[in-house]
Amino acid sequence: MTRHHPDSLSLMEYSAGNLSEPHALCIRLHLEQCPHCRSRVDTLNSLGAVMMDHQPKVTVADSSFDQLMARIDSSPQASSPVVPQPKVSPLQKLLGDDINALPWKRQLADVSVLDITDKFPGQNERVVLQKLVAGGKAPAHTHRGDETTIVLQGAFADQKGVFNQWDFVVLNEQDEHRPVAVGCEDCITLSVLSAPLKLTGTFTRLLNPFLR
Amino acid sequence: MMTIASSNTITVKERPVTTLEQQPTKTEGRKDPWGVLLEKVGKHQDRAAYHALFEHFAPQIKYYAISNGLASHAEELVQEVFVSIWRRSCLYDWRKAAASTWIFTIARNQRIDMLRKMQRTSAEMAVETEDLWQIPGDNEDEPVTSLHRLMSERRIRESLSQLPEEQITVIAKVYMEHKSHQMVADELNIPLGTVKSRVRLALNKLKVILQDQNV
Repeated sequence: MTRHHPDSLSLMEYSAGNLSEPHALCIRLHLEQCPHCRSRVDTLNSLGAVMMDHQPKVTVADSSFDQLMARIDSSPQASSPVVPQPKVSPLQKLLGDDINALPWKRQLADVSVLDITDKFPGQNERVVLQKLVAGGKAPAHTHRGDETTIVLQGAFADQKGVFNQWDFVVLNEQDEHRPVAVGCEDCITLSVLSAPLKLTGTFTRLLNPFLR
Repeated sequence: MMTIASSNTITVKERPVTTLEQQPTKTEGRKDPWGVLLEKVGKHQDRAAYHALFEHFAPQIKYYAISNGLASHAEELVQEVFVSIWRRSCLYDWRKAAASTWIFTIARNQRIDMLRKMQRTSAEMAVETEDLWQIPGDNEDEPVTSLHRLMSERRIRESLSQLPEEQITVIAKVYMEHKSHQMVADELNIPLGTVKSRVRLALNKLKVILQDQNV
């Protein structure tokens, strides 16, 4: 059961549709597993509806509704009911069935990484999967910029606590930690790094937030 | 016991989700009038109901488009939102969201979709907008908290009138103008911390963050 949740301000930016795609993905993956945060987002979506109603209204063109009906009457694309799709996690869509079998790049004895930034074209953030082998330790490190992380598999622990599957954590330069993968599974996390691309000079360090 | 991991993360206790089964009859009277119309569209393709929804929501959505910087595409966004409402109304479940909340999420997603399509071709999109931003009721097989959801919209409507204007302004910019808290701070020329505290105060009042601790 998840214990570490996104804060209300992040959920609000999610509900408003203002987050980047990688950040929205982190929230979405957490929501899939967290009824508590789903309920908070429901409320925030209602806030959005109330705000929309609270704002001025702008009259639509006279022909607007007729155009709409003409489109619905003439185009099957505009009129066919949406059929519920089988539930497929966005994670599975992005990464396939087995995240353990991805082409991981080992960086240290215990640490592997995989950069998936190219799955999100046009974004300014770096999106990285990290794997810490079961029982493995990452060296002590701090962070540059905000780093949003969600645990996809296994768990890691540091001095702040234990972060289990689907836990959500935001780290920044104030947070020095030394994560250890706990439990019997490799710990896999998804991180979105707000650090700007100017940091690509320190490529290895950027690729591996465990090490920064 | 766990403590917070950073100022951006909170630790909360899981609360049991109220299931519909525990509220078998009380919820029936809470159907909102727009929800009734949506169901008529969903079940019978009722054009009069659809027209009534259009009359009410289209001017809101047009303003939403304009305030989001899509003035030259405002009519187009209204059309896209209403096509989506027509096609999805069969999935609408009044127990999962009030009609206006459901329509807000569709407007939001169509706005995101429109911006994504302007920026790149759909072939490049590995995930669809709705994989990231869900419409309430789609693929959602969890027990329903209908009473809570409908009540929350009513409660927010009532509480909003009691909020100071400066708090409403900040929330409006986040929801209506697609602005991050940082962008709101820059625009109003106030510190980011002030923006965040106004939002927190408002969300507290609206009981959105009742369960947050250590914030």
